Amino acid sequence: MAYKFPSDEWIKALRDMLNASESYQRSAKDWEGDFLFIAEPDDAYPETAYLHLQLYHGSCPGAAMMDLDDLPETEYTINAPFTTWRKVIDGKLDPIQGMMTGQLKLKGNLMKIMRYPKAAQEIVACCAKIPTEW
Amino acid sequence: MKNILVVDLAEKTHHDEQIDRDLAREYIGGSGLAARLLYHQITPEMDPLGPENPLLFLAGPVVGTSLPSAGRCSVSARSPLTGLWGESNTGGFIGPEMRFAGYDGVLLSGASDIPCWISIIDGDVKIHPAEELWGQDTYQTQDSIREILRDPKARIACIGAAGENQVKMAGIINDHGRAAGRTGMGAVMGSKKLKAIAFRGTGKVPLADPDEYKQAVAEILNVVKEDIAAQALRLAGTAGYVDMGSMFGDMPAGYYQLGEWEESSHLSGVRMTEEFLNRGVACYRCPIVCGRETHTLKYKLDVMDGPEYETVAAFGSLALVDDLEGVIYAGHLCNRHGLDTISTGSTIALACDLFEKGVITSKDTGGLEIRFGDVELSHQLIEQIAHREGFGDLLAEGSAALAVHFGVPEMAATVRKLEIPMHDARSFSGMAPVYALSPRGACHLQGDMYGVDTGQGPATELGILPGDRFENSEEKGRIAARAQAWRSIYNALTVCHFMNPGASRIQRALNAATGWDYSLDDLLLAGKRIFTVKRMLNLKLGSNAEDDRLPEFMLKSFPAGGTTGFVPDLKILLRGAYLEHGWGPVSGLPSPDTLKAYGLDFTIPDLP
Repeated sequence: MAYKFPSDEWIKALRDMLNASESYQRSAKDWEGDFLFIAEPDDAYPETAYLHLQLYHGSCPGAAMMDLDDLPETEYTINAPFTTWRKVIDGKLDPIQGMMTGQLKLKGNLMKIMRYPKAAQEIVACCAKIPTEW
Repeated sequence: MKNILVVDLAEKTHHDEQIDRDLAREYIGGSGLAARLLYHQITPEMDPLGPENPLLFLAGPVVGTSLPSAGRCSVSARSPLTGLWGESNTGGFIGPEMRFAGYDGVLLSGASDIPCWISIIDGDVKIHPAEELWGQDTYQTQDSIREILRDPKARIACIGAAGENQVKMAGIINDHGRAAGRTGMGAVMGSKKLKAIAFRGTGKVPLADPDEYKQAVAEILNVVKEDIAAQALRLAGTAGYVDMGSMFGDMPAGYYQLGEWEESSHLSGVRMTEEFLNRGVACYRCPIVCGRETHTLKYKLDVMDGPEYETVAAFGSLALVDDLEGVIYAGHLCNRHGLDTISTGSTIALACDLFEKGVITSKDTGGLEIRFGDVELSHQLIEQIAHREGFGDLLAEGSAALAVHFGVPEMAATVRKLEIPMHDARSFSGMAPVYALSPRGACHLQGDMYGVDTGQGPATELGILPGDRFENSEEKGRIAARAQAWRSIYNALTVCHFMNPGASRIQRALNAATGWDYSLDDLLLAGKRIFTVKRMLNLKLGSNAEDDRLPEFMLKSFPAGGTTGFVPDLKILLRGAYLEHGWGPVSGLPSPDTLKAYGLDFTIPDLP
């Protein structure tokens, strides 16, 4: 079964993938801090989508697609146009390359996240494993 | 670029020489112009530690202006470590202060009969005896000279015990712990019995179009402030790369023979910031502030420099040391004695490898058990190297000489006898041709493909595009060659590689500063010209395309880690790089036509 991106089902599939990933659990074992992924509208997708991912000590207790009015406080947000997210999820854009070149815009405590590049890599690896419908 | 001070240390005389305007435009400044100016002076017969070896301090045309991170200074000569073209560059304030004092460069010839130092204060040049300074460490020397001059703002470039003892990996230290570390320029200074040069000036660097320059600089400042890589450097210093470098398999461990080493996380720049940082330290007008001032309780020091990433890896993971405090102290000792941390750390790690594999025993080392993981031993060996005592006297000759001495030249991680820096080419394929072709021997500052492929400041307008770090192709080799040309421009401008606003903005600033009319194509061509003139110098000095190689053991894949199973295909990558440089795709030699196209006709007689 393929999951449409962006959707509540897709982000929950990522949650399940992370909770099943031993390498994510190992690399993020001390991590505390939720993420909000914001897919901005572009020619390929007309709306802004907000995907919330709770991350705590190597697990993902919750994930949901949110409305703008219901957004929770999160420690990190990553903004990018829909098409850029697609490139990341398809494995065509390395997320570190994306952030360094400003295609993905990260907000949050940079120093804290610098200690966990492997966890970030595992999240992207899990994204790539989700059968995704565009 | 106008004026070079020429000092004859044997005769204790000096005079000014004007820089030819056309040469300045074609080679820009820094190590680019230095290679052109010294091309005929450096000969194969010359002893790198003899009085005839010229030593040239040279800034670039934007140094000392309002451009951010434009405070570096290049130091060049024939290298005593490699026997080839030697260059190193340093940050801090020495480059700007030299220009404020009235000179774009200082050329030192001959050798003094007694230890001496030079003061250059607003154009007033004096050569002083230095018997009382000889024997002082680099920190003491800087303090002593400022006291003698009664000027706390004087900027001093000096050598420590390593330079005095002509240790082949001796560097030149300035602004407390900034270093022109690589290729043994400190040993050349020591061979001339020159302890230090002090600069102080109140002049201003002239600009061709000040209003245009101001706008160009403002635009660059905005870009640099928004750059996430620059922000990371400000937060955690260059050692902030430790965690990412380990993930990529880029940070070498166990003398480049372990694909992964989890303990490297103990060496993180983030940890250094949290536990040992006093403050960030900036070079001249630099908004990035990657420099570190640290302290250590264990070694009872309140103020120490750095260390930066290369030092952390060289004395840390490379030697399987995870004691960050011990690594910080190792960096401090190297600065104090004026040693290149990359070559020193790597040579000590090679000694560990030789010992662990039974190539050497404690009979060879004066009784020392030289094993991985022992940072206190590294401290002891640093002292021995700097003072050429015991086993340190052999280590002082560098890794290549050490390996040859024990009959195992293939075990040294060097290219053209220069120790390979702390980026593994198995992690970024583009680093393989960068190392193999670097004119000063293996060097990460002659093309930073680990930066390009992680998206850190690639000059996309020049076709230096981030891509797959595991790509083996001619195109990747071509990109690496363009990166080499671009960083040759940086090393000629003498600006910092962490300031990456894009090629067009650099071009605009350069033209506004100098009145030149460089296009982007002209800039790339100038980069290739500079890279090729250094290639020709090395050909003249006996190094040829057979030296365009990496040690075999560094072309074996790892079964695990961030580079699992990958090795760069050096042959295909080199072919692409050769083509991009305009050299023969198989021979690696520039053709006479290429040399003419680059304006390097004068080098044609040196073709083999």
